[in-house]
Amino acid sequence: MSELKPTNRKAELLLDAAADGRVAEVYAMDTVAGCATTFDPGWEVDPFGGVASLCQPMEADLYGCSDPCWWPAQVPDTMNTYPDWDAGKPSAQNDWRELDAVFPKK
Amino acid sequence: MTSLCRLAALALAAVLGGAATAAAAGDLILTGAKPDKLYVIDAASRTIRRELRIPGANGLVGSIVPSPDGRIAYAVINRMESIVGVDLASGKIVFRADFSSPTERVKDFFAFALTPDGKELVAYLVPVRLLPSEYQVEQPRFEVFRTNAGLKARPVRHFEAPRRVHMLLMRPDGQSFYALGFDLYEYAMKDGKLLGTRGIQNWQLPGHSQPDLLAFWPVTEPTGVFTSPLYAEAPQDGKPVPTTALMSLDLKSGALDYRDFEPLSALIFSTVLSPDRKYAYGVYSTLTKVDVEGRKLAARVPLDHTYYAVNVSTDGREIYTGGAMCDVGFYDAVTLERRGNLKLPGCADQALASLRVIAAR
Repeated sequence: MSELKPTNRKAELLLDAAADGRVAEVYAMDTVAGCATTFDPGWEVDPFGGVASLCQPMEADLYGCSDPCWWPAQVPDTMNTYPDWDAGKPSAQNDWRELDAVFPKK
Repeated sequence: MTSLCRLAALALAAVLGGAATAAAAGDLILTGAKPDKLYVIDAASRTIRRELRIPGANGLVGSIVPSPDGRIAYAVINRMESIVGVDLASGKIVFRADFSSPTERVKDFFAFALTPDGKELVAYLVPVRLLPSEYQVEQPRFEVFRTNAGLKARPVRHFEAPRRVHMLLMRPDGQSFYALGFDLYEYAMKDGKLLGTRGIQNWQLPGHSQPDLLAFWPVTEPTGVFTSPLYAEAPQDGKPVPTTALMSLDLKSGALDYRDFEPLSALIFSTVLSPDRKYAYGVYSTLTKVDVEGRKLAARVPLDHTYYAVNVSTDGREIYTGGAMCDVGFYDAVTLERRGNLKLPGCADQALASLRVIAAR
């Protein structure tokens, strides 16, 4: 934790709690896949440092990522947050123009 | 008419309809597609024998596990919050378990298995309590259902489960099942007793780094052996080299084996073992053939696009590719030459659906 600097009050409380040994176990890796639990490279780069080994075409991987909430920063999470994102669009390669960007609800 | 008779009649109709005679004696391929489709494909004639709709699939047909008699296909649906059983002859939904409630959101992350008699289904469930101001992560659990429980199935027993499991594989005696996650666990079907743990993330392979495993496709046919690609750094000339290995788990004997077969040069998402167990076939953006006994890459060809799922014909002569996009590919198991391709109606994506093979009736 020494490399991390708290930027708000909640983070300061967390640091204090960690120092006191009061932090509960973190369950971020509740599943192997799932929202924000995967630390593989994202859609920007493949394991070889290039892009040639990403899914080809990217539409092949679109619903394989949205359904298990694989990379929710790049692909909307249809498992929990945006379940209707792909409704009426069963074919990523044909329907990609209709797949909209999503925004957090206010 | 019984389900069996209906399926036999369908097979006869396919033959009379001009399909290849071999189709009646060949394989049927099961796959799912968005938003709610389950397909039964005649492998020999490359035709769709049945298009079945799953009400309430809610945009997802994921892991598919056929019943041992091949009459019913069970599938994870509904954003991973339900499992259904579909009678393949009639298309009727004969089983449904919905896991979530207004106060608890419960996901089945791909993982469930059936007993060899087809009477019980065990599912791995990840629950989250929905509180007014927070989500409270709960302990994962195994729940066991009777498959004759109808459309509002409730568990008949449940056990505490480890975290990070993504596949269940039933052993042939039905007394226990494997749970595949960061490690390989074995649990008693009767009471959930942990019978053993073997390392995957915590493996003890000399000189190897911690491995990376993505095992979401529960294919054990035709051999009763589950296989998966696995990646780790392995020693080569005294230096750690990223290496691809084939992991295999024999469900009958319990033998767990890892075999390095090439320096990492291409990604593989899933694999299947040939009937003679001499070769394994893997897919992603290439189709890979692995010489299992020789521990080496036997052949590799590029595919027209990425596939997630792979399977092999019962006679070992053809490789089937599926998942991801909207087609199923057919390849020669010896040459890896493309023999055929079947596009699903409407070009609906299979995404994470399993590609399973059952015997035609």
